Amino acid sequence: MSAPSDAAAAVDTPAPTTAAAASSGGFTFKLHPLVIVNVSDHHTRVKAQAACSGDSSSSSSGAGAGQPPRVFGCVIGVQRGRTVEIFNSFELVLDPVSGTLDRAFLEKKQELYKKVFPDFYVLGWYSTGSDVHDTDMQIHKALMDVNESPVYLLLNPTINLSQKDLPLTIYESELHVIDGSPQLIFVRSNYTIETVEAERISVDHVAHLKPSDGGSAATQLAAHLTGIHSAIKMLNSRVRVIHQYLVAMQKGDIPVDNSLLRQVSSLVRRLPAMESQKFQDDFLMEYNDTLLMTYLAMFTNCSSTMNELVEKINTSYERPTARRGGRGAFM
Amino acid sequence: MEPTSSASIARQTWELENNIPAAATDPDAMDAIYRYDDSVQARAQQEKPWANDPHHFRRTKISALALLKMVVHARAGGTIEVMGLMQGKCEGDAIIVMDAFALPVEGTETRVNAQADAYEYMVEYSTINKQAGRLENVVGWYHSHPGYGCWLSGIDVSTQMLNQQFTEPFLAVVIDPTRTVSAGKVEIGAFRTYPKDYQPPDEPVSEYQTIPLNKIEDFGVHCKSYYALDITYFKSSLDSHLLDLLWNKYWVNTLSSSPLLGNRDYVAGQIFDLADKLEQAEGQLAHSRFGGMIMPSQRKKEQEESPLAKVTRDSSKITAEQVHGLMSQVIKDILFNSVHPSSKASTSAPDSSGPEPMVEA
Repeated sequence: MSAPSDAAAAVDTPAPTTAAAASSGGFTFKLHPLVIVNVSDHHTRVKAQAACSGDSSSSSSGAGAGQPPRVFGCVIGVQRGRTVEIFNSFELVLDPVSGTLDRAFLEKKQELYKKVFPDFYVLGWYSTGSDVHDTDMQIHKALMDVNESPVYLLLNPTINLSQKDLPLTIYESELHVIDGSPQLIFVRSNYTIETVEAERISVDHVAHLKPSDGGSAATQLAAHLTGIHSAIKMLNSRVRVIHQYLVAMQKGDIPVDNSLLRQVSSLVRRLPAMESQKFQDDFLMEYNDTLLMTYLAMFTNCSSTMNELVEKINTSYERPTARRGGRGAFM
Repeated sequence: MEPTSSASIARQTWELENNIPAAATDPDAMDAIYRYDDSVQARAQQEKPWANDPHHFRRTKISALALLKMVVHARAGGTIEVMGLMQGKCEGDAIIVMDAFALPVEGTETRVNAQADAYEYMVEYSTINKQAGRLENVVGWYHSHPGYGCWLSGIDVSTQMLNQQFTEPFLAVVIDPTRTVSAGKVEIGAFRTYPKDYQPPDEPVSEYQTIPLNKIEDFGVHCKSYYALDITYFKSSLDSHLLDLLWNKYWVNTLSSSPLLGNRDYVAGQIFDLADKLEQAEGQLAHSRFGGMIMPSQRKKEQEESPLAKVTRDSSKITAEQVHGLMSQVIKDILFNSVHPSSKASTSAPDSSGPEPMVEA
């Protein structure tokens, strides 16, 4: 697929269409991990194919060893009020000549996805790259007739082992007045990762390549507790960071920031999370139910073992009856 | 940095112990699997090594993307069975699944195979995807058995046999989203059927799973006509990098997940089913008490467990899952509920800029 690479042949200057300011739109974005894996897979596929065909041809085409080609696609999901939840995504084809997205393809794909996921709407588009390009605004504007305010998801596919944050940014478009004329520019927005329980389990499974077979009860228990342990470790480290920050602020190393202090204070005041009597009652009931189940299971286990024991005794201590071989069975 | 180096050493030791090949960590080798070579596939189609050996395919490799898509789709279906197709290629004795997509049909337990518009969807989707760079062919189908385990029912077996006759190579994958959430690990099985008159060598049953009473007959009748393949997963270098970073964000979800609450219906159903099985087992035992004299000769041949032992296993499994769920809840309770703000006993003016000291209950 050399088409997107031609489009990307334009120089990679940081576009003046991005503002450093955070978005003031008030939209909250929720992203599902499936989208991230989708985009990454799309990119890897295209890169692998390009490398494959680049090897066979002797002449070097524009894209190739240096820059992996950019990929484009569409993100779909649900928008409820001011919350935008991005569930899924699919690939799109970029028209090499005009540099715009292939409209017919988009419509076709949209139709297909509507049949299987009737609740999802086109929310925006995605692409890969290290920064926003000049041409991106055109594509963004083209999508505006599908959705009045589309989102733009940019994934940076370069693997940088030192970075701690997801190399994924979500941009919204806003109308700002620059040099006297209103222009659309991209502004970054924050997002949170949202998962369904099943999604989380499968992501966990693939991320840590857990042994897929059941294993004994002990290994299952260990796996479960390890998961919780790592999550708690993360919580602990985050809390420590806040603690260090506060200590430094108390000592005077860092200027006092009241808004941050207010946030920390409100966070701390949220504990205890639940303190009503009803909660305690329900919690204890749940606890007792589980204990009851354990009790019953123990009973079943014991009676099964007893049963086996009784049968073995019966077999080994048979009374010598009409059967001729009976006496030989005495142990 | 100390923590990360010891973590990476721990990870490498773990990988070694679990036989994860070194290629799994080398980025180029990891991504090599994503290349689709038309000529190799065409040659494989010509040779058809699977035509002679019904047991030819032994393993399957599923990509992270395909797994995620299938599980999310299966879960979105709730208690209704859903189905979809998988795209990929074959390599030696392994079928590789690169991607999966959902089909707009529901409840295929009552239909033999997908209806006409599903075929149309499939053709349209495949052709469109080729344009977008997805070059692989359809290599299998998946469907979900919400709550009743990963195995092939009678209808599934006949569908798969048909597929294996006409559209080889083909793979059947079954996912149970309810058990996935309840057990905390992915319940998935990959199967291929034997041709009609083939007598399979007697293999031991791989992993025992509980089957609800109303389905157990269907399971038993057909369980010898197909075999399970080993499943391994793979992901690209970018995928693993992103997934590692993703952990920084969704540890919150791990901590806040509560499997107990989400799966109440399923657990209640399981217990109900267990009670029925127990009654059945009791009935069988009553017979054997009187026939105890005649039983011994049969007992030596009997490799399988008695019904009571099976019931015991089921009950232990259900209980273990419940206990895990309860453990999470208790841990969360200790973490977040057992601290209380101390009362303002001191007479000094309340300090508005600092938090009140927290005291453990």
